[in-house]
Amino acid sequence: MAIDLSMPVLIVDDYKTMIRIIRNLLKQLGFSDVDDAADGTEALGKMRQKSYGLVISDWNMEPMTGYELLKEVRTDDGLARTPFIMVTAESKTENVIAAKKAGVNNYIVKPFNAATLKSKIDAVFGE
Amino acid sequence: MSSPVHSEIREAADSLTHKDDISLVDVLSLAEASIHSMKTFIDSLDSKVYEEFRGIAEYIQNTKLEIGNLQANDLTSNHIPVAGDELNLVVSSTEEATTKIMECAESVLDADSSDPDAYKELVNAKMMDIFEACSFQDLTGQRITKVVETLEHIETRVSRFAAAIGAGDGDEPANEKEAKRKKRKEDQILNGPAKKGEGVSQDDIDALLNF
Repeated sequence: MAIDLSMPVLIVDDYKTMIRIIRNLLKQLGFSDVDDAADGTEALGKMRQKSYGLVISDWNMEPMTGYELLKEVRTDDGLARTPFIMVTAESKTENVIAAKKAGVNNYIVKPFNAATLKSKIDAVFGE
Repeated sequence: MSSPVHSEIREAADSLTHKDDISLVDVLSLAEASIHSMKTFIDSLDSKVYEEFRGIAEYIQNTKLEIGNLQANDLTSNHIPVAGDELNLVVSSTEEATTKIMECAESVLDADSSDPDAYKELVNAKMMDIFEACSFQDLTGQRITKVVETLEHIETRVSRFAAAIGAGDGDEPANEKEAKRKKRKEDQILNGPAKKGEGVSQDDIDALLNF
């Protein structure tokens, strides 16, 4: 089944530059409906207003981290099934294991390239 | 306690209490006995105790000297704020350059390539803009060198001070703000970017996740 490129995607990162990079990469991959949020709290608010087909989130943000956001999403009945990819510079084994336990769908370590992003999105949607 | 000295003072005091008319000579006699008593007491102090006090006085003097050498006021009013300014400039200049480069890339990606000459001209112009934007690296390198020098300046003084007072490393946070930051780092597993060669690779992560 091909990925629905019209599905809304939410990028969560406190660095505008990183949002812009991911937004451009997603555009190149064909995604057209892309929103962004600067931290977990803002993301959670947007997710409760609009149904997103994919969340791509950084880990280290203030006040709510991407890790907290992931845990909130997974315990919210309305959001629990939203595919969630962590894109972060946190590259310790304990981070990866914690994210896996919290229910992350995939994990990309920064810096990354377009091919890695594409392959992880494909993997999440079973391509 | 009943030393000969104490007896001497007691006798002088007793003789006064039984007198109706106390003269100046009587009072001076009592004072003399007291002074004699004190001198004997001071003379009896162990010379080791004196040495201890002298050692403590020297330690305090040296500590004062080392605190002076720490140049704490200069660090907080000069070196640290300057280093902070330099780092802020590094952040802003890298952000500026990155934005400029991304704008160039976006305009090339969005450009109409139906007219090859116009497209080539636009691509050339944008490539030149990218080269110009990359000049930030030289300036940020110099700014970061200044910050590293400041850190070395602080490290030298703090190490010397710690060695001078024989300070050990405590693990208590310096204040409430630092305690909160430490707790958040632990709770949220905030390790930050790994050094080159450290941390797990994307392949290791994929294996850990088993995706």
